[in-house]
Amino acid sequence: MSDFNRRQFIKLVGGITAAGLSGLAFALPAKPKARVVVVGGGYGGATAAKYLRLFDPGVQVTLIEKARQYVSCALSNEVLAGDRTLESLTIGFDGLARHGVQVVHDEVTDIDAVKKQVKTKQGKSFAYDYLVVSPGVTFRWGDIEGYDEDATELMPHAWDAGPQTLLLKKQIRAMPDGGTLIITAPPSPYRCPPGPYERAAQVAHYLKAHKPKCKVLIMDAKSVFSKQTLFEQGWKQHYGDMITWVSSADDGQVFGVEPENGVVLTEFDEHKADVVNVIPAQKAGPIAERSGLSDESGWCPVDQRTFESTLHKGVFVIGDACIAGAMPKSAYAANSQAKVCAAMIAARVNGQAEPEPSYVNTCYSLIAPDHGISVAAVYRLKDGTIQSVQDSGGVSPTEATPQQRAREALYAHSWFRNIVGDIWT
Amino acid sequence: MITIRIAVGLLGCALIVTETAGAGPVDPAMVSHTCAGCHGTLGASLGDAPVIAGLPEQYFLETMLNYKTGSRYSTIMGRLAKGYSQAEIEAMARFFAAQPWTTQPQQTDPAQVERGKELHTSRACAACHGPDGTPSAPNPAIPSLSGQFAEYLVTQLEDYRDPGTAIPPAALPMRAMVQGLTDKDFRALGQFYASQQPPAANEQ
Repeated sequence: MSDFNRRQFIKLVGGITAAGLSGLAFALPAKPKARVVVVGGGYGGATAAKYLRLFDPGVQVTLIEKARQYVSCALSNEVLAGDRTLESLTIGFDGLARHGVQVVHDEVTDIDAVKKQVKTKQGKSFAYDYLVVSPGVTFRWGDIEGYDEDATELMPHAWDAGPQTLLLKKQIRAMPDGGTLIITAPPSPYRCPPGPYERAAQVAHYLKAHKPKCKVLIMDAKSVFSKQTLFEQGWKQHYGDMITWVSSADDGQVFGVEPENGVVLTEFDEHKADVVNVIPAQKAGPIAERSGLSDESGWCPVDQRTFESTLHKGVFVIGDACIAGAMPKSAYAANSQAKVCAAMIAARVNGQAEPEPSYVNTCYSLIAPDHGISVAAVYRLKDGTIQSVQDSGGVSPTEATPQQRAREALYAHSWFRNIVGDIWT
Repeated sequence: MITIRIAVGLLGCALIVTETAGAGPVDPAMVSHTCAGCHGTLGASLGDAPVIAGLPEQYFLETMLNYKTGSRYSTIMGRLAKGYSQAEIEAMARFFAAQPWTTQPQQTDPAQVERGKELHTSRACAACHGPDGTPSAPNPAIPSLSGQFAEYLVTQLEDYRDPGTAIPPAALPMRAMVQGLTDKDFRALGQFYASQQPPAANEQ
């Protein structure tokens, strides 16, 4: 892959326009070099689609995504706090179309890795030379007794941004002062490791101002969690003893719920709350399992150099759904993996050597509007697995001034603006 | 690729540091695209993280190496810079230097911009940074400030002023320059440079 810059990019557009195809930002050549189908238009899939077009405009890219608009989970905890609208997290696909990506709103129901085609709910089929699958996560219904899809109307998960987020927000708004919110945190691995703990902080930020006698209880299936020291420090600093975390070692793991009664059940105890937010255990999105891309772990094994499935050649799995060594299931990780995957496909299409991969993750959490914390890592492929580079990365320092925490909050919002721009525009 | 660097430790003894930068040669685009999630596609940030598209190669390289060693304070860049080898940072420096300086219109307050312009003049900033924040002749050590994000510029000015914050030796003159300036002055300066959109910024 050669260096690519905007100048070459504009030259190319100009060339096509000069050829009499004005009106089209990108005209597809009569016969594309290769046909790539991307399944899923979230942080992973949309990045792959855009960057494939940037790397090689001769490649035909079709993105198949059920939703007309994507709603970002990242920053959706601020909606619960009341500091942000869901609309501000809602993104359309016009930007991808401007890069020459063919966006199809449909649902892939079947992947035929032998015939190299996908079939959709609307009865269409799409042939491909390379398939990129970025299906995100789905829940392991049944792991918590009594928690099924109907129960989400009483005890929202709010782990897909959208109506569930608004339902949880509404319930929290209706809570009496002195009431209790229980958040059940899932076992690893799951989408957005610090998410449940940021959620506790963002809800507390609202409660502190409106219902200061309320309590937030996190019932955890784990005995440690992401950025733990920084969260515990920030919770105490801003919200006193409003937030309590219960480790799995202290009977924190929830095994059952009674949605009608607001009750959660642990091994030895039961807890009643005014609002219960169940974040269930997770696995790769439905299409992964249905098409044999996931293994008994529920996640998709891939060659971590290219993200090509080890179960189906010619199919690449990126984002939350794949097993990516030391990388967490985060938006930035999906964005980074998608670029590596797109570069590998572009190299193959052009018969070039596959470049040495480089991956990164940066993940911000907001404890209060002016208090951000982060975790970051740079990764390389070593012995076939993605490993973080020694002596690099890590979390924000425990000792920091309010000014430094405020800068990280500024950069958290900056991150959202830029990653959305990098993906969907 | 393995590079061997010989560093002289505090006690004067030579240490051999082996740096494994991955098995294959560094791909400039591959390593540079990792920055885009925070700094925008090809480094053309949408704010408030700084624009890095079009930074002078030498400035980029020195900045990253200073982050890596901790000679320049950062919230997060130190942790990230430590993950890249010298060869990778050199490749990024060339990659971003080859991009055009691409800025975004920012909302600025005319009174603040005016105040910032006065400071820019009275403090003789133009001597190094040019009349509008862009050096009159390209300078490998001085980045353009024209159109850079105001919030970012303020953070840098704060770091220059605070004697407890690490800044690289090359920036020490800035520490002297900003003494006596207030937070309000910093905001005004930030607004002034932010308001200075380089000519034909988006047509290069």
